[in-house]
Amino acid sequence: MTVAEPVVRPDAPGLASPEWGGFDPTRTRGRGWVDVRRSFLTAVRLGWQMEANWTDPFLFFVYSVAKPLASALILVVMLDVISGGGKPEYRAFVIVGSALWSFVLSGVSGLAWMILDDRERYRMLKYVYVSPSDFLAVIFGRGVARIGVGAMGAAITLAVGVVFLGVPFDVGRIDWPLLIIVMALGVTSILAIGLLLAAICMQTRQESWSYPEAAAGALFLVSGVVFPLAVLPAPVQAIGFITPLTWWIEGIRRALFPGGVSAVGGPGSLFGQLTGAVSPDPLLIVVVLLATGAVATLGALAVFRASDRRAKDRGLFDQTTGS
Amino acid sequence: MSTLRADGRRTAELAGRNAFVYRPTASPQAAAVWTTRQVAMTNLRTVIGRAYPRVTGLFREKSWVFFEILLPFLSTSAFVFVYRALQAPPQYVGFVVLGGAMTAFWLNVIWMMAQQLWWEKSQGNLELYFAAPMHIMAVLFGMAFGGFVMSSTRALAVLVIASTIYGVSFAVDQWALLVGVFLLTLAALYGLGMMLASLFLMWGREAWHLTQLLVEPVYFVSGLNFPIARLGVLGSVAISILPLAVGLDAMRQLAFAGAAYPIGTPPPAIEAAILVAMVVVFVLLSRWTLAVLERMARAEGRLSVRWQ
Repeated sequence: MTVAEPVVRPDAPGLASPEWGGFDPTRTRGRGWVDVRRSFLTAVRLGWQMEANWTDPFLFFVYSVAKPLASALILVVMLDVISGGGKPEYRAFVIVGSALWSFVLSGVSGLAWMILDDRERYRMLKYVYVSPSDFLAVIFGRGVARIGVGAMGAAITLAVGVVFLGVPFDVGRIDWPLLIIVMALGVTSILAIGLLLAAICMQTRQESWSYPEAAAGALFLVSGVVFPLAVLPAPVQAIGFITPLTWWIEGIRRALFPGGVSAVGGPGSLFGQLTGAVSPDPLLIVVVLLATGAVATLGALAVFRASDRRAKDRGLFDQTTGS
Repeated sequence: MSTLRADGRRTAELAGRNAFVYRPTASPQAAAVWTTRQVAMTNLRTVIGRAYPRVTGLFREKSWVFFEILLPFLSTSAFVFVYRALQAPPQYVGFVVLGGAMTAFWLNVIWMMAQQLWWEKSQGNLELYFAAPMHIMAVLFGMAFGGFVMSSTRALAVLVIASTIYGVSFAVDQWALLVGVFLLTLAALYGLGMMLASLFLMWGREAWHLTQLLVEPVYFVSGLNFPIARLGVLGSVAISILPLAVGLDAMRQLAFAGAAYPIGTPPPAIEAAILVAMVVVFVLLSRWTLAVLERMARAEGRLSVRWQ
């Protein structure tokens, strides 16, 4: 004898079984962006707590600023050893570059470390993954705190450069529209690269903690961060041109220090040979940043999806390693 | 009296060869009394056992070749190009290459030595280490040896590849002293790592952040990419407390003999003596701090507390 399936009553109170009378498919669909937003904000809050609640605010500030400041000081001393302080424009160039790079490092490592933190340290990744939260929203949310810390480090490094290291800076000369557009596009690109690293770290082992910094170190070479690309061989300069970070840093430099040293152009640069221009104009910077950023973002999403599938297939979400 | 085992060999015969073989004893108390050889062999086995995953891991997952050799090489290259952009004398490129190679050991010391015991605690392994019949210093030595092997491959690769590509020419007059300084630097670095491992265990979650704090700021005060004499008093302080600073400066003086750059630091022989003192101090301090922290942790029941 077959039993007739229960009919969903119009007045059934959701999932309040047993009176509800059947399956309510709307409950499984969730509330779309409302749920994504809630997952994201919860992840942001959690990430911030994990980043900051281990100490008092002063010590946290010191820890956050010491790293980017030391990076800038290494370059300043290198510059001074050789030029004896004779190249002030180059000092601004390296300080801005290294300050912005701390932002890149935090963005790239924030997302990748979220995977490693939750899988290797707290062993929560599989639970997070199977929860109703959107996994990407959680990853981005957890990365926000680290990006915030990186942004603070970058700002402090710039401030130290202006106040103590003689970097010429005039607030009145800032190209605000360019700064805002380039910053928005650049942050998106940085997050895309972070997502790519997160996808890679899903597949690798515990020692992957250093991978984001290693990858960022490689990009450091080709992005014109602390030296003009013109000193690199032409093929390597070409690689630098397809990296959104090159155009982001160039755009920020152009917006904050109009007329300063260009990392992309300059005498003997591949850019100069190809375009005949001394340095890229703001419109070109925005267009190329938009194009390279879009490619990076789409590529990162594709790699992340593939990594996600492979991780599920091979049981990597609850894999812990040690050495 | 020996007995015949299923595989045809006699237990007494095996006991004579192997310190770990089961030996029949009259009581549990007698079984707990180990000979000096047994203690030594167990600790040696611990060293090998703890080094094993680090050495074997090199062959199990090949991605490290890309991430730990190629990418750090590119990172080192960035600083080479900074000097090239500034049209610096060629020996400065050599400084960067030497510094880039030595960063492999420093990163290994802070990430995989200093932080390791805290990490093991978070993973639930630490109480097993303390419960096992071995000296915890043997675990630290094993970690250090495994880490040394891991880092040496990376350091050697960066040194060879970068020197070849960027045409670094070394001028070494005192090979023996150079090798001696290098080994002393490593011994001091890993001694420092062993000491920090104990301290990080006490500092808990702060250790994680401290690890990150110990990268770029230490590179800066150690004069990783420039002559440390340029830092003046700060450089002198670094030379007296940081193995990376004193070791790099001594190796730089020995590997680029006669090169013109601001020295102003002690001669290599003196710096080698400083390294010897550091080795002794760090190893003794690590033993002491480990004993103190183990006692504290046992008393306060914190050996098995995770993620704090």
